[in-house]
Amino acid sequence: MKSLWNFFNSVKLAIFLLIIITLSSILGTLIPQNRSLDEYVAHYGQFANLLNRFQLTNLYHSLWFLSLLFLFALNILICTLTRFPAKFRKAFQPKLIKDKKNILVLKIKGSLGKNWGLAKTKEELKKELSSRHYRLKEEVEENKAFLLARKRTLGLFGADFVHLGLLIILAGGIISGFGGFRKNLTLSEGDILDIPNAEFKLRLDKFETEYYPDGNVRDWKSTLTVIENEKQILSKIIEVNHPLSYRGFVFYQSSYGWNWTNTSVEIWVKKRKDPSFLRKIDITVGERVRLEGENIQISFIHFIPDFVLNEKNEAATRSLQPNNPAAFIEGWEGDEKIISGWIFAKFPDFSRIHSEKETDLSFELKNFKASQYSGIEAAKDPGVNIIWLGCTFLMIGLAFAFYWPSREIKIILEETQGKTGVTAGGIASKNREDFQSEFDEIMTSLRRLR
Amino acid sequence: MNESILFLTTFILYIISAFFYFSFLFSKKENLARIGFKFAFSGLLIHTVALILRTFESGHAPFTNMYESLSFFAWSSILAYIIIEFKYKIRKAGPYFMLIVIALMALASSPLMPKEATPLVPALQSYWLWLHVSVTLLGEAFFAIAFITSIMYLVADSKERKGIKSVLSSEKLDSVSYKCIAIGFPLFTLGGLVFGMIWAYYAWGRVWSWDPKETWSLITWFVFALYLHTRIVMGWKGRRSAYVAIIGFLAALFTYFGVNYVLAGLHSYA
Repeated sequence: MKSLWNFFNSVKLAIFLLIIITLSSILGTLIPQNRSLDEYVAHYGQFANLLNRFQLTNLYHSLWFLSLLFLFALNILICTLTRFPAKFRKAFQPKLIKDKKNILVLKIKGSLGKNWGLAKTKEELKKELSSRHYRLKEEVEENKAFLLARKRTLGLFGADFVHLGLLIILAGGIISGFGGFRKNLTLSEGDILDIPNAEFKLRLDKFETEYYPDGNVRDWKSTLTVIENEKQILSKIIEVNHPLSYRGFVFYQSSYGWNWTNTSVEIWVKKRKDPSFLRKIDITVGERVRLEGENIQISFIHFIPDFVLNEKNEAATRSLQPNNPAAFIEGWEGDEKIISGWIFAKFPDFSRIHSEKETDLSFELKNFKASQYSGIEAAKDPGVNIIWLGCTFLMIGLAFAFYWPSREIKIILEETQGKTGVTAGGIASKNREDFQSEFDEIMTSLRRLR
Repeated sequence: MNESILFLTTFILYIISAFFYFSFLFSKKENLARIGFKFAFSGLLIHTVALILRTFESGHAPFTNMYESLSFFAWSSILAYIIIEFKYKIRKAGPYFMLIVIALMALASSPLMPKEATPLVPALQSYWLWLHVSVTLLGEAFFAIAFITSIMYLVADSKERKGIKSVLSSEKLDSVSYKCIAIGFPLFTLGGLVFGMIWAYYAWGRVWSWDPKETWSLITWFVFALYLHTRIVMGWKGRRSAYVAIIGFLAALFTYFGVNYVLAGLHSYA
């Protein structure tokens, strides 16, 4: 047990782990993470299995990486705990130095003599130190006085705060990882959705996309209403960077899209030999409409937002964006299908209408309309406030450590025959040059005093 | 007056500053370094006006594309250098540091960088953009100085080993490198990691996604943490420390540029 403790109570181990974790993190940025096995096989061939086996395809959540983080946390904890009591005693129960030798070994030191008695010298010195915000501790023996002047003592604990902050952040991360939950919801206007593991429902009242004058998206805005026990509790417009928080859940505007399954289109029907002939039909997927004045019915079978032919020469969609909208339609004369095929909104000349029977009709896909849905990410992150707490500790610690370095001056005064000798030495946790000049100023001003 | 003229003026002032700094380096006349400093400082002032103008013209923070962010990084670097030069009098680092600044400005002016202000995509419309980017880049500016002083340390150290003394001693360079990192590290932690996490939480719903840019900023942070621990706890100084500082800045640079062009991720817009 003791040797295990000593193993973790080592700065060298910390450095070693830090290097290993850094190198592992680099590895994780070089290998794309969380892709499908097919992609890895395509990219790495026979090594794909090896990557999978060592969990390099989900490196940051792999057992071995998390174990490294855990060891590192344990290492930090034990290093901090072991060093803390001594540091605490030093800060809050300091001992006065009574042997000059212990002052003379310090790097920053000086001595001087005054033609004053002990009491006066001490008072003048104390005045000077107090004016520089040093707090003083003293002890007097006959002919001798021992002073300890300190300031910014909290600076000593900077590193401890930093380490504590890191441990808290890691703890928060673990809590988020195990207790957290997230789910993508898709809502169309008017939809009401039960939130999983929660006592309330969410309704999307309105979803809109705002555009800049140049056509780029400015923002997506969803008006959400929280419904609890059949009552409307609150409504909020959420947008990117401005989520809705309710009962530990946070709802983010994360994506958007179209419900292509119930697309409505406008189709123009023309006759090649009769330029004056034009019929416009509005039709939704699955509907069949009689063409006015003609003995033909038009069926709208299928809609594809981003038409492409796949390897098997089948119609497919490349994405859910309306980049190449296409409609599959059929024309029926009674029970007989006389035409069928694809028409394209962006490429009217590329219609691929297959006719069973001679016909003069041509079709154009003019407009399409589908309801938009809002993609909302529901998240519960129980560790996040703990992470913020950890960040606060981290920053306070860094500020203490680097911008608030502790300073300490140890002084021994000795009176002999009405004259007093002053021996002083100082310790600063950081920024020794500045401390050196302050130390010199103190000594000089005492020396000059008449 | 518009922003691009001011940008050009700034660029010219920085070049003149570098010219005087290099003349100082070869002639050893302190006066020339002082003139170089003044040109750098007036460049900073004009640059500040340019950035403010850009903010008003575009209606958003002046660091939302590569051109803007390079220009802002150059601005932060000059600001950081002026602070460090004022405090620690490292004039000899001036010429080399001005080279970095000029490289940033040249890269920003290159025709490859689109200069027109584009409207912000939804994810960038947040006040955290200001805090996250500005504090991070200011922190990295101090790392840039440490990078220069660390390289200068390596040169000065090998000269001193041969008995050649320099005005700016290797010991001083080592200590200035440490000081720059001591200033930059808290800034980088606050801007890059903490503000980044807060913004990620509001924008993407998660504080950490192991996106390549996030991971590389953590790697950068690890390298500088390594620098501080080896130095403070294990007493490393000099050459070894200088190498770690150099690696740290290269990691920061990769986080800043490399990730955008080499590794794809959520941060694709910046």
